[in-house]
Amino acid sequence: MIATVSKPSEGIISLNKNNIVKDANYMRKQLGFLPQDFGVYPNLNAYEFLAYMAAMKGIGGANLKPRIDQLLEGLNLTDAAKKPIGSYSGGMKQRIGIAQTLLNNPKILIFDEPTVGLDPEERVRFRNLISDLANDCIVILSSHIVSDIDTIADRVVIMKDGALINQGSQESIIQNVSDKVFETTIKKEQLYSFKAAHVVVSTFRKKDELQVRYISNNPTENSRLQVANLEDAYLYLTKNN
Amino acid sequence: MKSFLKIITSDYLQRTRSYAFLVTLCATLAIAYTFVPEPNATYSTIRIDGYVGLYNSAWFGYVTAIMTSIFLSLIGFYLINSGIKTDIDTRVGQIIAATKINNFSYLFSKVLSNFLVLLTIVLIVLTMSIILFLLYNDGRVLEMTQFLKPYTLITLPAIFLVAVLAVISEVFFGKYSVLQNLGFFFLFSALMLFTPKTEAQFSLDVFGGKIVTHELEEIVRGITKSDGKTDLTIGYVLGGVKNSKKFEFNGMDFPASFVISRLALVLLGILVIGLISPFFHRFNVKERIKMTPLRTEAKKHTSKEINLSNLSIPKTNYSILPIVKTEFLLLFRKGKKWLWLLNFIGMLSLAMLPLKLSHQMVLPILWFLQISRLSDLTTKEITNNAHYFAFSSYKTTSRLLLSRLLSAVLLMLLLVTPLAVRLALTVNFFATLSVILGAIFIVLLAAVLGTLSKGKKLFEVLFFMLTYANINGISYADYFGGFEHHKLYIRTLASVLVILGAIIFVTRRHQLKNY
Repeated sequence: MIATVSKPSEGIISLNKNNIVKDANYMRKQLGFLPQDFGVYPNLNAYEFLAYMAAMKGIGGANLKPRIDQLLEGLNLTDAAKKPIGSYSGGMKQRIGIAQTLLNNPKILIFDEPTVGLDPEERVRFRNLISDLANDCIVILSSHIVSDIDTIADRVVIMKDGALINQGSQESIIQNVSDKVFETTIKKEQLYSFKAAHVVVSTFRKKDELQVRYISNNPTENSRLQVANLEDAYLYLTKNN
Repeated sequence: MKSFLKIITSDYLQRTRSYAFLVTLCATLAIAYTFVPEPNATYSTIRIDGYVGLYNSAWFGYVTAIMTSIFLSLIGFYLINSGIKTDIDTRVGQIIAATKINNFSYLFSKVLSNFLVLLTIVLIVLTMSIILFLLYNDGRVLEMTQFLKPYTLITLPAIFLVAVLAVISEVFFGKYSVLQNLGFFFLFSALMLFTPKTEAQFSLDVFGGKIVTHELEEIVRGITKSDGKTDLTIGYVLGGVKNSKKFEFNGMDFPASFVISRLALVLLGILVIGLISPFFHRFNVKERIKMTPLRTEAKKHTSKEINLSNLSIPKTNYSILPIVKTEFLLLFRKGKKWLWLLNFIGMLSLAMLPLKLSHQMVLPILWFLQISRLSDLTTKEITNNAHYFAFSSYKTTSRLLLSRLLSAVLLMLLLVTPLAVRLALTVNFFATLSVILGAIFIVLLAAVLGTLSKGKKLFEVLFFMLTYANINGISYADYFGGFEHHKLYIRTLASVLVILGAIIFVTRRHQLKNY
């Protein structure tokens, strides 16, 4: 909805006091949007595709070609720039997607699940890139991978079923579970009943026993208090709202 | 057996639950409505030497069964010839390939789901013909057997065979939709031309209607007491209805050889599926573009980092020319490269063959060859999953749509340049202008039908029907000025273009607003 692709059933979305539900082009002029699951025209090469995207965004002129070259180079796609996109790997397609978001000198960048399908090395590179981009514009990042968020985001919004359930800095969100995260060891056969009583974050197998990290207001005996993180807070808030 | 039935029902439901099927069904119903003209209509569909049948159950049942057999065989192929392709596109095929189901069972399940899709249409047409009988008949009794017999013996075997042909063409020409379209086009034309001379030869009539039309001709010969050849017309014939005489047709008893031949056709279809099943790729298909060199790209990372404030700043430029250029490239590169050879042969034919032949025959075939380029003109961002980019871009409706229309018209005109030049050189500006308007018409038709149906089938079906009518010299289907026309022709065609243009821009805007 913020990317102006679909319309809200009610309410408004405003940017600098402009209602973008009514005036979508106000947003589109300064938007860079990377959808979660996007396709490309396989018969175009990277350069042609980016030139096409630039034309759709309403930009051009003599500086367009150098900008595309700089983006392709920065995203490590120069060597493949003249090859059809249909021959690219998933990670390369994702980088093409990122390049198109940066074509129009955006003021707002929306990345929807941007690291899905990337290998660990590319994921780290992408996280660093987002951090760099955040120096120049607003970056809205939507992700279910909490480790992506906690290394990048300075402000976090947690949503469930389309409703906002919590927002703030990472610290303030983690504060919700600061004294509720514990670790203990249980027998394997106890796991089912344990899960029924507590929010289990993770389990780690140890011979015939399980080491369990869990969130609870009533910890079991012999449980050790743990340092809470964003993932704990996310699980706690989504289970209790 | 359970998984076999599951594939059939899932495939059937997946196809019939689509919006495109609903729109196609509505279009089919609209056409079926015209199979038996209403009593005051100025056209006829089956006429023999100026005779038409009295509106009794037999006339309704047999006429609609024959018309459905021909009409649905004609368009049905284009409705159902992507069952396997859908499994490839959705990647369900890879899951199926890993199951126990064998090739024959899979292909036969596709035949049956194809058949069920067509059967759904047949049942709706049958229901409609009964309703029309109840509306138009003059006090005659409804006899259900006069409907059920011809539909069972004529229509159903024909559509089963079309269902089989669709699977065969997908197995052998799955990657070449142009070859599928053209192959069926010529096969259908050849089968329609087949004229049985003896009772035994009626068994070879795939569409099954010729035995009935022969019987109708015999009845008329009996009335007119003539032994000569009768003038039988099947299809939409305008005028002359008021002067037509009536005769009574009470159905017919099909000879045993014909009934056996229908059963044999069905069995032959199943046998052929069995024979071709070893050739089925079982979803071990190569990607459209070779990708080995890039998949294994070396992980050499650039030292340059992206810093937005250091990048060159491009200017605002709302020109549509770059979009037109890329859209033209997309159209040009679509499909296999070697298929352009067919286009070049077509262009050469337009330049070399007699002018009339080029205009009336080569031009519609050459444009028909572009069917897969045109059919997804307004839906390609959805099929390529690139719609988020398109829909979040600046002024999408006006700029992107206009660019697509322009690039497609440009391509169609480029293909017929030899003919347009020849017509201009003969100072036939009426014909030259007609060709240009024809190119715009077919592009706008593709855009409108694609946008309304959100798919490409409806356009493919109508384009096929139009081309078939063009090649058979039906002048009212002429959209490119190939035949003699009244002076108002250009004005009428131009008005249609304006209407189509308005529809496409309004519907596209509406769709984007309500996406």
